[in-house]
Amino acid sequence: MCNKKTLYLVGVFLFFNAMYLIGSEVSKTPPAQEVAVSAELQEKFPLKNHHAKLSLKCADCHEGQGDEPENFQMIGDEGCLSCHKSKQYLADRLKFMDVLHVNPHNSIHDGQRLYCDECHFEHQKSENMCLNCHSNDVKIWMKDTP
Amino acid sequence: MIKKVFLFIKSKLFIFVMAGVFIGLLFSLGMYEGLHRTSNDKFCIVCHEMAPMVASYHSNVHGGAGKSGIKVACVTCHLPHDNVLNYIYTKAKNGVVEGAIHFFGNPDAIDWHKNRQRRDEFVVDEGCISCHTNYTTNPNISEKGIKMHKHYVSLQDTDKQIGCASCHVEIGHKGLRSMLNYYKPEYEFYDGKFDSKKEAVEKQLLETLK
Repeated sequence: MCNKKTLYLVGVFLFFNAMYLIGSEVSKTPPAQEVAVSAELQEKFPLKNHHAKLSLKCADCHEGQGDEPENFQMIGDEGCLSCHKSKQYLADRLKFMDVLHVNPHNSIHDGQRLYCDECHFEHQKSENMCLNCHSNDVKIWMKDTP
Repeated sequence: MIKKVFLFIKSKLFIFVMAGVFIGLLFSLGMYEGLHRTSNDKFCIVCHEMAPMVASYHSNVHGGAGKSGIKVACVTCHLPHDNVLNYIYTKAKNGVVEGAIHFFGNPDAIDWHKNRQRRDEFVVDEGCISCHTNYTTNPNISEKGIKMHKHYVSLQDTDKQIGCASCHVEIGHKGLRSMLNYYKPEYEFYDGKFDSKKEAVEKQLLETLK
């Protein structure tokens, strides 16, 4: 009799164990894929200094895009702003430039409507769009585009 | 002779102990009051070259601009809190150095804009974390924020260590870069163009620090 009871208890115990294991398997999110950054990769996709200083990894920006850098997509404004808050915030940080209407984040022509990647590129040199027209003035208004 | 002194102390032990306790308490009180009264913006600005920093601090939630009006003292973020001796030493050293620059040196030679690049060196992370204790678990922080805070933790005690201010630019000092520009423009193009802005800031500062 005692043996039967023990067997029953062990059975229940094992059943819950199995349930736990199955349950935990389901709820576990796949770990963020880490890309081993080789010297070659680093040369092909260099990081801007301020991002490199923070030791950011590929997947910090290219979230959920797998582990093949060649297949990574642009992250768009939403990606940038997931850290850099909002265009309003970025415009406010350069408020002093508003006095002379040269705030690139609150442009006199485009306001805050520009996309980040109209000027800023992470893996290649950024291009200041203002230069397209104001080729001589921009350098006295602001530094190189980060 | 020594025995005599010892006997004298022994006979008046109670008085000696009480006197010791009293002097100790008095010293502690003096120390506490001294440290406390010399830790806010009103005191620091007497010697430190920091008008734009204080002005931008007043616009930030940490400087009383939030709904609750809480003000975090300068020393909370800018002085080490690992032990009292280090705290007092750093405070005294800063006081002497800054005082000397203010009264005898050339404050105009300080390159504030360049110093902003080293912002993480001016902030003691323990100060931030002493209030923001649950920065890796707080559900009010965005998913990205939590991810980055864990990244911060993972870099601790490595040669890649970063500070709170590495990412949290202008934290504690809203609009710091603009404010610094009103005092000392980054580009020649702006020279003299911010005078009215600076005047307004100075006026506001005088009002607030009255």
